[in-house]
Amino acid sequence: FYRTRTRTRTQIKPDSVNSVISASAAHLLRLHQRFQFLDKDSRGSLRSEDLEAALSENPIGVRIVGAFFQQETVDFPSFVRILAHFRPTEKNRTRDGVQPDPAVGRKCPSSVAFQLYDQDRDGKISRTELLQVLREMLGLQVTEEQLQSIAERAIQEADLDRDDAICFDEFRKSLEKVNIDHKLSVRFLE
Amino acid sequence: MATRGRSSFCRSLPELELLLLVILVLLNGTVLSLEAASSSEIHTGEGNNTSKKPFPVIGIMYDDVSVPFEISLWVLLASLMKLGFHLIPRLSNVVPESCLLISVGLLVGGILKLARDEVPPVLSDRIFFLCLLPPIILDAGYFLPIRPFVENIGTILMFAVVGTLWNAFFVGGLIYGVCQLAQDKYSEINLGNIGILPCLLFGSIISAVDPVAVLAVFEEIHINELLHILVFGESLLNDAVTVVLYHLFEEFMESGLVSAVDAILGLVSFLIVALGGVLVGAFYGILAAFTSRFTSHTRVIEPLFVFLYSYMAYLSAEVFHLSGIMSLIACGAVMRPYVEANISHKSHTTIKYFLKMWSSVSETLIFIFLGVATVDGEHHWDWIFITATLILCLVARVIGVVGLTFVINNFRIVKLTTKDQFIIAYGGLRGAIAFSLGFLLHTDHKKIFLTAIITVIFFTVFVQGMTIKPLVELLAVKKKHEAKRSINEEIHTRFLDHLLTGIEDICGHYGHHHWKNKLNRFNKKYVKKILIAGDRCKEPQLIAFYHKLEMKHAIRMVESGGGSKLNSSFPSTVSMQNIQPKIQSPPSARPAERALPQLTKGREEEIRQILRTNLQRTRQRLQSYNRHTLVVDPDEEGFDDLILKKRRMMELDWKIKEMTNYLTVPHAQGSPTMSRTRMASDSQAYVKPGAKGVPSIQIDLASPQSPDSVRLLDEVGHDQGLTMSLPSSSSRAYKTGGKDDDRDHQKLLRCLSDPGPSADEDEDEPIPT
Repeated sequence: FYRTRTRTRTQIKPDSVNSVISASAAHLLRLHQRFQFLDKDSRGSLRSEDLEAALSENPIGVRIVGAFFQQETVDFPSFVRILAHFRPTEKNRTRDGVQPDPAVGRKCPSSVAFQLYDQDRDGKISRTELLQVLREMLGLQVTEEQLQSIAERAIQEADLDRDDAICFDEFRKSLEKVNIDHKLSVRFLE
Repeated sequence: MATRGRSSFCRSLPELELLLLVILVLLNGTVLSLEAASSSEIHTGEGNNTSKKPFPVIGIMYDDVSVPFEISLWVLLASLMKLGFHLIPRLSNVVPESCLLISVGLLVGGILKLARDEVPPVLSDRIFFLCLLPPIILDAGYFLPIRPFVENIGTILMFAVVGTLWNAFFVGGLIYGVCQLAQDKYSEINLGNIGILPCLLFGSIISAVDPVAVLAVFEEIHINELLHILVFGESLLNDAVTVVLYHLFEEFMESGLVSAVDAILGLVSFLIVALGGVLVGAFYGILAAFTSRFTSHTRVIEPLFVFLYSYMAYLSAEVFHLSGIMSLIACGAVMRPYVEANISHKSHTTIKYFLKMWSSVSETLIFIFLGVATVDGEHHWDWIFITATLILCLVARVIGVVGLTFVINNFRIVKLTTKDQFIIAYGGLRGAIAFSLGFLLHTDHKKIFLTAIITVIFFTVFVQGMTIKPLVELLAVKKKHEAKRSINEEIHTRFLDHLLTGIEDICGHYGHHHWKNKLNRFNKKYVKKILIAGDRCKEPQLIAFYHKLEMKHAIRMVESGGGSKLNSSFPSTVSMQNIQPKIQSPPSARPAERALPQLTKGREEEIRQILRTNLQRTRQRLQSYNRHTLVVDPDEEGFDDLILKKRRMMELDWKIKEMTNYLTVPHAQGSPTMSRTRMASDSQAYVKPGAKGVPSIQIDLASPQSPDSVRLLDEVGHDQGLTMSLPSSSSRAYKTGGKDDDRDHQKLLRCLSDPGPSADEDEDEPIPT
């Protein structure tokens, strides 16, 4: 136990992490334990394969890993920083309005979701990107035609400026009923 | 001039109704007195057996039909009242319907009492609990929005259980204190005689928020979903608490002795009542889902299964003194996803409308009977008791809500603001359940309890019901978004679910999403295979949702466009010779039957017009009476606007396509739909236009894309009940794509009439050229 604690102390640099998010030591410890659990080879950083193993059953697992863990390896501070995007922050606690939290460097949750759709980062969700998402989610259970008609309809509904793709504002607008900001919060990370 | 005439007519309507009302009531009275007269006539008839009576040409035998007759009169009265209120717009905006109905009930009760000096015991507990309450609860349970309900289940349970307990004990205890303080040995009813247990019993009756009243009032104020589901969910789930407390205190009153063991038994009993009710409901729900799997050949009785199983769930729960309401809710909520996947679209519509109709009538009747029952029955008005009750109820509710919210907000992501708390507290309406339970009491102080209960009900319904709407406006509480669920929302919600499940998996946190994911997986793997018929068990929910949307649009399209809109997407359709064999075309179109392709342009257009108008008329004529024939109702929302828009677009389309519409030439640049149907029918290879087969037609938002919707009908067509199936297989014999499309066209028209046996009955010989 003592060894684990020293390892914790040497491996987490509290300042670098705490400057980004203010989390209690208990939370950090939990996350660190999880980090170590995922880090099968005990190398002190995670590779994408480790994370994909955790997300094997998730249809969009690869996408999540790809979007968040962009570097080859992820060390603990980055791990925490990325997960901090999903923390329920104070500002998000009321249902009215949501602001990005610039002080924390935390992105607005809807832009996080948008990035997951928009793999090529051109700021728009094109039909092919949407088709890819649908294909991943629905898998082999549907025919290609059905996928295409769904994608077509989705774009037709959301696309207001007729550019055949969904830009970020249109994305937000189509989701105004779904309270995305409070949905994208995981309690664990408070 | 015209407007004044209209307004005078409107003003006379309330008088008309009042007149109608009086007539109905007098009819009731006279009929009943005639009953007495006729019975005496029979006696005198028997006495004079020997003398021959002339043959009675007209006789009155009211006895035989008295009960159904009276029931029908009451229901008719309720329905007419409902009609009448909406004809007086000013009134229905200010006063919620429930208040008006209670007033009408009071009026009718008063008239009946004056006329016959006694009022029929209409709100007996049997009628209420067995006939009037179940439809409302089933309607609520079947259409319960599962997602917000489950997301807020913790909060709802806290309010329902802890809140109701708090209310019961607070009110019961303090009213006992008040009674003791205000006892007056010389008055008619000595308040001090009321023991603690009757007070607690009274408290438990009066503390429960009533689903009927909440529904009636909240429906009109269109509040946002979260608040609606919180108050409504609470009103549904507190039934278990009420049942347990009621029986508990009644038992204690009988035995007269309370011990700690009894309290623990009470707790155990609560768990049994609540969970048992849910299990019974779920069991019947699964049975119903399983039954619906086999109904593909007898679509007409599908709704009946839904209703019967739900009612059985309710009755079975009542047999064991479990919570019937929770059982009904569980049954409806469990069976709905599976039943909807199995039944035909028409059965779904039937279920929806029957439930709405029954629950609406029930609700109306309940309020009217509440008014009538108030006039009946003995009351004892005691100022102290009643005002104390009222104040205590309000105070208890406020304190309860504030206290609980304070605790709950620590566990919620989206906190409840003060405005929310106020609405929740204010929305705690009491209703007919409290009254019926009070009716069932056997204590000596029934009269005073009943009076107090009625006063509280009236206060909450009238005062709180009337003022909640202005208050909602004043406080600018968020209202419900009226927009329908779009495919985008569905896609993104699922995406976010997967995303959050993934994040939770990364964190190793077994949270909300993790368990939901597990449940979905289990559902998909095992349950759906058992409960859903045929291929649809593998259909992911997104697809099912999409199909539903497309079906609605397709129906709307066919209804409003009369099939002509279809023509614009199948540019070479409506070849003259292929329209008629199944449809009785009127003689005027018969020359077109044998028309040869070489028609002049003008003549062609003329014939098209004739056919178009006649097709619409014929379709209406097809609605012949047949017990098995159901006619599709168009989707009502925005229907008229849609028709106008479509008509205008159709004219435009006709003008554009007129020049290029030849009869039998297949178009090279048709929609992928058409090319696909043609590919199915033609053996010759056909080059698909466009790069990836993505439809390239300009679609305007007023009419959701028709080619895709019709194409999708193809995929859905395997199910027997969905008669809008386009034949894709047996079209080998067809030479041109045009004929194929006409088949589809006819099919779509025919689907309006027949839900019944195989939808493929016109797949016989190819149409003769």
